[in-house]
Amino acid sequence: MRALSLLALVATLPTLTACGGDGGAAPRPAPVQTVAPTPTPTATGTSFNVTPCLNQQVALGVSVTNLVIPDTVKLDVTKPNGFPNGRQLDDPVVDITLAVLFLDLTKHPANLFASLPLNPPGNEVKTLTVFPYLAPANGSPPMPPAGGTNFNFRTDAPSAYTSVDRMGMPAVATALISSSQKNPYNDSTPADDVAGKFVPDITSTLTGLTNALADDFQRLSLNMCAKPV
Amino acid sequence: MRVSRTWATLGGALFALPLALVSADYATRAADHLDPPTRTDKDFDPTPDVPADIADVFAWYTPTSIVLCVTFAGPQPGNMPPFYDRDVLYTINVSNAGQRTDPEFQIRFKFGFDGQSPGVRFEGVPGSTGPIQGPVQTVLQQGGIKAIAGVFDDPFFFDLLGFRETRSTGTLAIRNTRDFFDKQNDTSVVIEIPRSAILNGTNPLDVWATTARFGGNL
Repeated sequence: MRALSLLALVATLPTLTACGGDGGAAPRPAPVQTVAPTPTPTATGTSFNVTPCLNQQVALGVSVTNLVIPDTVKLDVTKPNGFPNGRQLDDPVVDITLAVLFLDLTKHPANLFASLPLNPPGNEVKTLTVFPYLAPANGSPPMPPAGGTNFNFRTDAPSAYTSVDRMGMPAVATALISSSQKNPYNDSTPADDVAGKFVPDITSTLTGLTNALADDFQRLSLNMCAKPV
Repeated sequence: MRVSRTWATLGGALFALPLALVSADYATRAADHLDPPTRTDKDFDPTPDVPADIADVFAWYTPTSIVLCVTFAGPQPGNMPPFYDRDVLYTINVSNAGQRTDPEFQIRFKFGFDGQSPGVRFEGVPGSTGPIQGPVQTVLQQGGIKAIAGVFDDPFFFDLLGFRETRSTGTLAIRNTRDFFDKQNDTSVVIEIPRSAILNGTNPLDVWATTARFGGNL
């Protein structure tokens, strides 16, 4: 498949069928370096209230806010597997996340972008159906000597270690937390999330993204969950 | 200066990777996997903590088990070694009762060495009778539990460059033919646990991971 911009993709939306999660992906270009941090997008003139986005229902009784706060992967074994119920290796988490953050889910399905797809349709190699599920490593990584029985594991208490990173839901820490709050966010806990410690930052970041992207969504005749203020 | 012992650094010495190859690797290591940037991204930190950088957290169920997976230290191209750092403590938190933010289980894993051979030790795995440990890249079993640490394909797929361009310009620029994580690897851990050991009736599970470094941030 040729590289298509979102504009072209949406223009062809009526003719596209849902795409499977694996297989069929054309070879992809090698990654290249990008040095851009996570700047605040420039507003396009109209400001939006994203509260309706955070309050909209992704599933019965589950709002976007419920997914994002606390920042955990939530798995209910009484419901079907598949993001945002848990997260499987092949789930199109970014496309679903973009849809629930920006689109009016009463007008568009949460899998709208994933059905195009907006991002690559799946992993470039098939994951396994049995343990360890992950596909073998690409290439030929230099491997350490195998074996051993008398390993020198540290015995220090967890309190002797300094926090570096935390993660639950994809895209929350990376896309919805501003640069200035990233270290405090990663040093905090899901209990801090529930206490509302980062709600203003998440709301501000989502507002900035929405203000910047609104003209694109409107041009594509997509109904946004955010409302003009 | 404290020296952190990782197998990646040992491997670099053992295999004498050409400088050009290493430089090429560094040129590709700008991803949102590298978050928080000022600790884990070489573009923002002269001493990025690659081993402690969580890439993704996965959790799903099978008819008989719950599967937890954490990927980290990526993305790395296929000619780079895995990262086994004995100074990093990894924790997978699982809540199955009460406050969804209070973990009932804290599965901790860390790496150690027998000579040059790295091993992994899991503690606090639900249903386990004690630590589970052994060589990396090996399926370790205790009762109905399976666990492994090793280098695997990075399962994530995403046009990171398009997303970043979108964020910086305000114009959608995401492409479905550009996967930043194509042909990339992570060091990863997968743990499969019998349902009976980790579920609490039909309560939902909340899962999150953390990393921490002995001796403070790099």
